[in-house]
Amino acid sequence: MLRYLTHRLLQGIVVLTAMSFVIYALIGLMPGDPIDLMISANPQLTPGDAERLRRIHGLDRPIVERYLAWAGAALGGDFGYSRAYARPVLDVLGGRLLNTAALMIGAFVLALSIGLPAGILAATRPGGALDGAINLVCFVLIAVPTFWLALMLIILFAVVLGWLPAGGIGTPGGGGLFDTARHLILPVLTLAMVESAAYARYARAAMIEAMRQDWIRTARAKGAGPVRVVLGHALRNAMIPVTTIMALGFGALFSGALITETMFAYPGMGKLIYDAVMGNDFNLALVALLFATLLTLIANLGADLIYAALDPRISYAAPERGARGRRA
Amino acid sequence: MIGKATNFAFTLTLAAGALIATLPHRSAAAATEKTNLTIGITQFPSTFHPNIDAMLAKSYILAMTQRPFTIYDKDWKLICLLCIELPTFENGKAKEFDAGDGKKGVMVTYTIRADATWGDGTPVTTDDVAFTWEVGRHPQSGVGNFELYRRIVKVEAHDKKTFTLHVDKLTFEYNAINDFQLLPAHLERRHFVEPESYRKRTAYDTDTANPGLAFGPYRIVEVAPGSHVVLEPNSTWWGKPPHFKRIVVRVIENTAALEANLLSGTIDYIAGELGLTLDQALTFERRQGHRFEIQYKAGLIYEHIDLNLDNPILKDKRVRQALLLALDREAISRELFQGKQPVANSFVSPLDWIAFNDLPKYPHEPKRAATLLDDAGWSVIKDGFRHNAKGDRLTLELMTTAGNRLRETVQQVLQSQWRRVGIDVRLRNEPARVFFGETVRKRQYPSMAMFAWISSPENVPRTTLHSEQIPTAANGFGGQNYTGFRNKEMDDLIDRVELELDRGKRRDLWRRIQEIYVEELPVLPLYYRADAFIVPKWLTGIEPTGHQYSTTFWVEHWGVRN
Amino acid sequence: MRTLLARPASAGALALLALLIAAAIAAPMVEATLGLDATATDLLARYRPPSAEHPLGTDEIGRDVLVRLLYGGRVSLSVGLVAAVMAAAIGTLIGLTAGYFRGVFDAALMRLTDGVIALPLLPLLIVLAAVDLSKLGLPEEVVRAEQASLYRIIVITALVGWTTVARLVRGVTLSLRTREFVRAAEALGARPWRVMLVHILPNALSPIIVAATLAVGQIILFESVLSFLGLGIQPPLPSWGNMLTNAQEIIWTAPWLAIYPGLLILATVAACNLLGDTLQEALDPRREQKR
Repeated sequence: MLRYLTHRLLQGIVVLTAMSFVIYALIGLMPGDPIDLMISANPQLTPGDAERLRRIHGLDRPIVERYLAWAGAALGGDFGYSRAYARPVLDVLGGRLLNTAALMIGAFVLALSIGLPAGILAATRPGGALDGAINLVCFVLIAVPTFWLALMLIILFAVVLGWLPAGGIGTPGGGGLFDTARHLILPVLTLAMVESAAYARYARAAMIEAMRQDWIRTARAKGAGPVRVVLGHALRNAMIPVTTIMALGFGALFSGALITETMFAYPGMGKLIYDAVMGNDFNLALVALLFATLLTLIANLGADLIYAALDPRISYAAPERGARGRRA
Repeated sequence: MIGKATNFAFTLTLAAGALIATLPHRSAAAATEKTNLTIGITQFPSTFHPNIDAMLAKSYILAMTQRPFTIYDKDWKLICLLCIELPTFENGKAKEFDAGDGKKGVMVTYTIRADATWGDGTPVTTDDVAFTWEVGRHPQSGVGNFELYRRIVKVEAHDKKTFTLHVDKLTFEYNAINDFQLLPAHLERRHFVEPESYRKRTAYDTDTANPGLAFGPYRIVEVAPGSHVVLEPNSTWWGKPPHFKRIVVRVIENTAALEANLLSGTIDYIAGELGLTLDQALTFERRQGHRFEIQYKAGLIYEHIDLNLDNPILKDKRVRQALLLALDREAISRELFQGKQPVANSFVSPLDWIAFNDLPKYPHEPKRAATLLDDAGWSVIKDGFRHNAKGDRLTLELMTTAGNRLRETVQQVLQSQWRRVGIDVRLRNEPARVFFGETVRKRQYPSMAMFAWISSPENVPRTTLHSEQIPTAANGFGGQNYTGFRNKEMDDLIDRVELELDRGKRRDLWRRIQEIYVEELPVLPLYYRADAFIVPKWLTGIEPTGHQYSTTFWVEHWGVRN
Repeated sequence: MRTLLARPASAGALALLALLIAAAIAAPMVEATLGLDATATDLLARYRPPSAEHPLGTDEIGRDVLVRLLYGGRVSLSVGLVAAVMAAAIGTLIGLTAGYFRGVFDAALMRLTDGVIALPLLPLLIVLAAVDLSKLGLPEEVVRAEQASLYRIIVITALVGWTTVARLVRGVTLSLRTREFVRAAEALGARPWRVMLVHILPNALSPIIVAATLAVGQIILFESVLSFLGLGIQPPLPSWGNMLTNAQEIIWTAPWLAIYPGLLILATVAACNLLGDTLQEALDPRREQKR
């Protein structure tokens, strides 16, 4: 186990290093540098100005050289300055990460607490009326683009009913925790609605799969009640794929939710990354994307570990050993 | 079950539609004792430093906290804001001098208002002027408009309030220093000790809420990055005390959400400078016209199509003229924009004093377009499209920024109008970054590129029409003459008009410049874009300018209707 | 197939999907029959209500909504179906190889998968939007075609969308390769590729098909998000996604312009998911074995 973990961690570091270069190169390959954007915004800039600004921002050097310089500094803990905000990258990221954490974890928890029970309920009687209704809602939620859902919620809760603020992170001047929470409700709801549909679908599929196993029939035949069968036996097995999906989903959380953040004017990671990429804010885009990558990789590792822990047929080092699984 | 699903969804969407139809009449607040104003705009400034990065959102907000020496007013006349009197040759405050090489330079003398004081009580003095110049001309300070400061060869301070600028080139704009935005020497000098890191240390970004950074009617008291900026009155302001005790500028990028925010009362007013698209505003007016007054102001944003003159098809002037004659721009302006965005005849706005009404125009004349195309050799019509004798089809590519819905809409209308005279126009759009950063800048668009220029009153089109300004690999793709327009007379006129101080003579030069422009048509003019200001009925004093200086330069005149 | 038709829900789903595809294929015929032109604009006939001439009315520049929806269906369904199949194929190949050969192969492929999952889409899309396709040796005709954005989207989604299938197939393969019937085949001297294709793949089909059917809807929606960012299908080519995005700003004037494409996406998503559900059951290997 320890050996496996060390292996995976080493591989993870290799992947992360490779990804850092891939991301660096991707951003570098994008046409037009920030100075071009400045020129198109300000016709009075002369070619000389442009060249001077390029030198200041270090844009006149080849990309590999820039990458190595950046990587060297990053290893020393210096992630550089954001070009657009003229602030240290970590300063800019800090506040956004907090916002995103509040939004995404809220949505994640809500989505799970709606989606999983709904999926399990639907799976108790596949093809029944309840299953039909839950599926229906899921399809609608899956089929609605996020920006439409967001707009509808704003219109309903902020414009028509006037219960909740239409956007932003808080009342200017500060309104305390309650105020922040009120501003979170609609974006969290938007995200959670879409995600819960996906979780419900996964949970339903996994439960149906689990309920079909022979040993569930055995448990039934032995006279176990339906509740006990569902919660005691099937659920545990069904959690294997669901947990994997959850872990993977968690990794994606910190890249933010661009569309939801845009619609609710909520300054989070998604919008930050988008703006940084579009505005060619090299350092900021890079660090934000790498951070998201790191979390994704950790979550993938977590998913594999959970999978391996829950399913005895897959083992770390010696696959032969656990080959005879109980389901086979 | 699918049937049910569809029904359910249909009911949902219908319900949503019904909600929209019966929209609320909740008023933003009791208007009478309104002392707070929340403005909605669509962009958040990345820096608050007045001289780094030109960004509309930043200048919109900073116009409330700082004032430049000179600016164009809403009648497009140059006026003094921070200075007392504009220097002219008549009042003796402007003088010529020999700048060497036979060039004429100019010395202009300004006096800072006696009562101009930074928000922390430090008077605004010539120290600040000298410091601003020092920062601006330092190659490492990161200031965008380096050219402005480079042209000033000397700053001469006579006392605490009066100074003379020595500028190495005498142009007709000799007394306009609109972009010379003053920096507080008493706060900023210590950050400028190491000029190369000034950008990262400036108080504008590290300590934005410092009162010493403002001398206008307001000062910034809170910044929530990406979300909002809060401003409160500045006690040292010299002018009319502003009505609002607190102004919040909220940033909502999505215009549909911006509109919903206005209706929900989260914001009071949508600024025209960075607000709704025109067609959104038009339909908004139809529904909410009883609560809001929509002010439209067409101005200096010139929407046009650059033609790549190296394209063999477009080299022929007749084809260029036919392209324009085939378009029904009047119909586009009338039907899509209800006439709020006037058809453009050249790069000069009709509101500008150098505009001429009697220059040749290109109305919708498909027959004339067809004749011109026949003459140019595109006379064989096959499958509804024109071909030349060799059998090549008359195919052009129209590119623009992807994701700009209004522009894409117009683009499709243009395509369909050209099709009617047998021109096959293909559309290809790219994200703004790619389009401006690569395709247009390096003249890689094969035939047509549609975008807008933002200019100022009596703007000399040197960068866009002078043949020295054609971007090439040799000049590092400098210049903005993206069409590749070369005209000896035009070059000469541009050089002369810049230096001509006599208004009458200048007007004649401007006329000739526009004559060449409309005859040669390196660019297809479309229309002047209009901003729509969504003003609640209780809010008064907002006067759109039509040029690049925003309404907030007059924020102290905003108030509440009794 | 029998199972598919036996269940009313999946039979309905199948019929609906077939209908949508047929309608999309028939778009030019409908256009000709109605005497309309999908790209012809008419500024004097904007936002027309449904009429005999325009069965679903007209859009913001006077184009017929019905014909555009049909053409949009061509784009959206082909993006959804083609990209989903391509992604499933890539994912299956990678998953099978990784799961069967294990060891260095597995580690390398799975770390590649991790990398692709973590790959930031946005800069990738912008870079790809700027790549000059003619430099890649593609014929000028393809590059300049208005369908170019369509091909880009299909390729991009397929290239980044295979990871789920790869992970699923790898998991199944890992456990299948130790089973008796696979061992028996190997003992009889079957080549690895034969074992993978003949013995393992059929048993792994169920998760592949479920993932692929789910992906169809997701990809159609993904295209609408790309349109929202200006990186999707470019005009004048309509897609349900970009029609929906465009309708967003004019929601107050013409909500129906959003409702139609929205309903079609919903129908497609529902049909694909129901089909996936039934397929999962029908293809369950345990069923086969019991027979």
